[in-house]
Amino acid sequence: MKHRLPILVAFISGAIMIVAFFGRGSVVDAVSDEALRGQTIVAGIALLLGVFSIVQVHWGRITTHHSDRVYSAVLLLCLAMMAGFGVFAGVDAGGVYDWLFQKIQAPMMATMFSMLAFFIASAAYRAFRARTIPSTILLVTAIVVMLGRIPMGQYLYDGLPSWANWIMVVPSVAVQRGIIIGAALGAASMSLRILLGIERTYLGRG
Amino acid sequence: MQRVDRRIIYTLIFISVIVPTLWPLQLPTAVTPETQSFFNAVDSLPSGSRILFPFDCWPSTLAETEPMAVAALRHCFRKDLRVVGLSNVGMGGPSVLERVLLQVGGEFGKEYGTDYVNLGYKANYQAVLLGMGSKIEDIFPTDHHGTRLAELPLMREVPNYDSLRFTVIISDNAMVDYWVSLVNARYGMPMVAAVTAVMAPKQLSYVQAHQLQGLLGGMKGAAEYERLIGAIDKANRGMDSQSLIHLLVIGFIVLGNVGYFVTRDKRRAPAGQQG
Amino acid sequence: MRRLRPGAVVPPAVLLIVLFHVGTALADAPAPSGAFRIERLNILVFALIFSAAVLWYIRRAVRGETFYIRPLSGLNAVDEAVGRATEMGRPIIFIPGTGELDQIQTIAGLSVLGRVAATTARCRTPLRVPVLYPLPMAAAQETVKQAYLDEGITDPLDPQTVQYVAGESFSFSARIGGMMAREKPAAAIYMGQFTAESLLIAEMGQAVGAIQIAGTAEPEQLPFFIAACDYTLIGEEFYAASAYLSNEPKMLGALRGQDLMKVVIVVVVVAGVVSATVGWGEEIWRVLLAAL
Repeated sequence: MKHRLPILVAFISGAIMIVAFFGRGSVVDAVSDEALRGQTIVAGIALLLGVFSIVQVHWGRITTHHSDRVYSAVLLLCLAMMAGFGVFAGVDAGGVYDWLFQKIQAPMMATMFSMLAFFIASAAYRAFRARTIPSTILLVTAIVVMLGRIPMGQYLYDGLPSWANWIMVVPSVAVQRGIIIGAALGAASMSLRILLGIERTYLGRG
Repeated sequence: MQRVDRRIIYTLIFISVIVPTLWPLQLPTAVTPETQSFFNAVDSLPSGSRILFPFDCWPSTLAETEPMAVAALRHCFRKDLRVVGLSNVGMGGPSVLERVLLQVGGEFGKEYGTDYVNLGYKANYQAVLLGMGSKIEDIFPTDHHGTRLAELPLMREVPNYDSLRFTVIISDNAMVDYWVSLVNARYGMPMVAAVTAVMAPKQLSYVQAHQLQGLLGGMKGAAEYERLIGAIDKANRGMDSQSLIHLLVIGFIVLGNVGYFVTRDKRRAPAGQQG
Repeated sequence: MRRLRPGAVVPPAVLLIVLFHVGTALADAPAPSGAFRIERLNILVFALIFSAAVLWYIRRAVRGETFYIRPLSGLNAVDEAVGRATEMGRPIIFIPGTGELDQIQTIAGLSVLGRVAATTARCRTPLRVPVLYPLPMAAAQETVKQAYLDEGITDPLDPQTVQYVAGESFSFSARIGGMMAREKPAAAIYMGQFTAESLLIAEMGQAVGAIQIAGTAEPEQLPFFIAACDYTLIGEEFYAASAYLSNEPKMLGALRGQDLMKVVIVVVVVAGVVSATVGWGEEIWRVLLAAL
C-alpha cells in the first residue's frame, strides 16, 4: 500500500485535470480550481523546506569549522536580514526590502546574466571547428547570422541581413518545430507512463 | 592559435563593451519584417484604445527587456493608447513596470488611473490569465498600490478582456507561450511580443502562425523599434557594443579554425617532412 | 524486430487529417454549451490514438517482443563519467533542471537521477544534487535515498548531497559556479528544464575540466549545451533516457508507441505540405463533405 498509494494519488490527480480540460460545468471547474489552489498552497509551504535545507547545510558548515564557513555565515545573515525586513517592514515599493532588492539583488542578477556574453565567446571559440561537413555548415551559418544581425554586415554585403533573417525564419524555425513536436510526444508518453504507474523513478522507486 | 587563454578572450570582450559605451559609434540598424509588423500592429490601433501590457520579466534581463518596454510604451502613449499593466513575475516585475510606466508616462504627461494602471502581481499565472477573461477584479481586487479598481477611471471601463483591444507582451520566459495558448487561442485577443534574443527564434513560429502579429527580439529588436518610432535611446547605444562583440567572436572562430587546420596539416605530414 | 508497416501508419494519419478539418470547423462555429467541450474533440481523439499506440506496444513488449533502440552516446557515457569520478576521487554534480516539480522535464530528470544515484552508490562516489526549488529537492532526496538503500547504504543521507540552492536561477548558477570551483567535480550531468543559466553552468563545468552530459527539451538552450558539453540528449532522447537506462520492456514498448505517432505526424505534415502546395486540400474536403 505504501508504494501503491502515491501511484493511485498520481492517477486520480491526473484524471481530474484531464476531465477538467475536456469537461465543462460547475463541479468540474470547482474541482479543477481547488486542485490548482492546492498546488499553490503546497508550493508555498514547500518554501519552508527549502529554507530549512539551506539553514541546515550552512549552519552545519559553521559549526564544523568548514573552510568556507565565512561565506555560510554571510549567507545566513543575508537570509535573516531579508526575511526580517520583509516580514516586519513590508515589501512595498520604497521600503528597505524593496531597496535591497532593487539596489543589490537585481544588479547581481543582471551581472550574472551579462556573464553570458563572455561565456558565449569562449564557447563559440572552442566549439565552432570545421571538423566535418555538418560542423562546417554550422560554422558558416553562425557567421552569416552574426554578421547579418549587425550594421557592419550590411556594409559588407547588402543582402546579408535578409540572408540572416531567412536562416532564422525558415530553417531555424522548422528545426525548432521538429524538436518541439518530438519533445511534446516524449512528454506525452512520459506523462502517460506516470499516470499508469509504469514510470516510478520520481517516487524513488526503480 | 586554437588554445587562446580564455582570460584573453574575456578581456577583449570587456574592451569591446566599454569602448563603444564611452565613444558611441552610432551605427544604423536595419529593420526586420517582424519588427515592422509589431510597429504596424500597434500603429494601426485607434487612438484611445485600451490595451494590456504584461511585463513578465526578471530583473536579470532588464538590459534587453527594459529598452523594448520603453520603446513600446512610447509608441503606445504617442498614440494615446490607454495601458493596463501587470506582471506574472513576482520578483521585481511590478516594481520595474512601475518605474517604466512613470518614466514614459511622465514624458507624455499621462495620468495614473486614467491613462495607465499597474495591477501588480498575483501568483498562479494560469488562474490570472484565465480569470481575467471573466472578471479582472476577481483576480486583482486592487492595483499595485492597494487602490481598489473601482476607484480607477480606466479600470471602471475594463471589466475583462472584452474591453481590451490588444496585448503587448514583454517577456523573458515561457509566459509568452501561455499568453498565446490561454488568451489568444481562447479569447481571440490579438497580441504582439517583445522577447529576449535567445527566445526569438522559437517565438517566430507563432508569428508565422499569425498567433502573434509581430515580434521584437532582444536588444536588436529594441534598437530597430527605437528607429521606427524616432526615439534613439539605450538600445541603439547598446548595439554598438553588440556589433563589436559579434565581430570579435567571428574573429576568434576564424582564428581557432586557422589554428585547427594548421595543426591538422602538421599532424598529417610524416615526421621527416615537417617545416 | 519488426519495422513499422504502412498499415499501422496510414489509418491514424488519415484520421488526424480529417480531425484537423473538423476541429477548424468547430472552432469557427458558435460557442457550444454542454458538459463536453466539443471544440476539443480533435485533441481528445489524438490523445486516445496516442494512448492506444503506446499501450499496444507496451502489451507487445510485455509479451516478449524486443524493440531496437538506437545507441544514445550521452547515456552510455554516464557509466564512464561515474568511473572517471571514482578513479579521481572527485564528486559528481547532477542538476535535475531548474524547473518546478510540475514540469514533466523535472520528473524526467529525477528519473535519470535515480539511475545515476544507484551507480554512484555502487561505486561509493560522492554525489552532489543542487536543486532550485524545494519540491524537486524533496523528490530528489527520496530518489537518492532509495537508490542508496537499494545498494545497501543505510546511513542517513548527507545534507550536502541534495541541497536547496536559492529560488532564482542566476543565484543558483552563482552557487553552482562556486561549488564547481571549490569541489572540482570530475563529472557534471544536467538533465531537465533549463533557462538562461544553462550556458553559465556548462562553461563553469568546462573550466574545471569536468566531463559533461546534458539533456533538455528546451530548444533555446540546446545550442548552448551542444557547444559546451561533451554529450547532449536532444528533446525526446532526454525523455527516453529513463527507459534506455532501465531497459524495462514496458518502458521500451512506450517508446515504440511514441515513435509510431511521430511517423504518423510526419505523414500528416507531408500530406499537408503537398495539399497546400498544389491546392488540393479544400477540394478533397469538399468532396468528402459531399460524399457524406
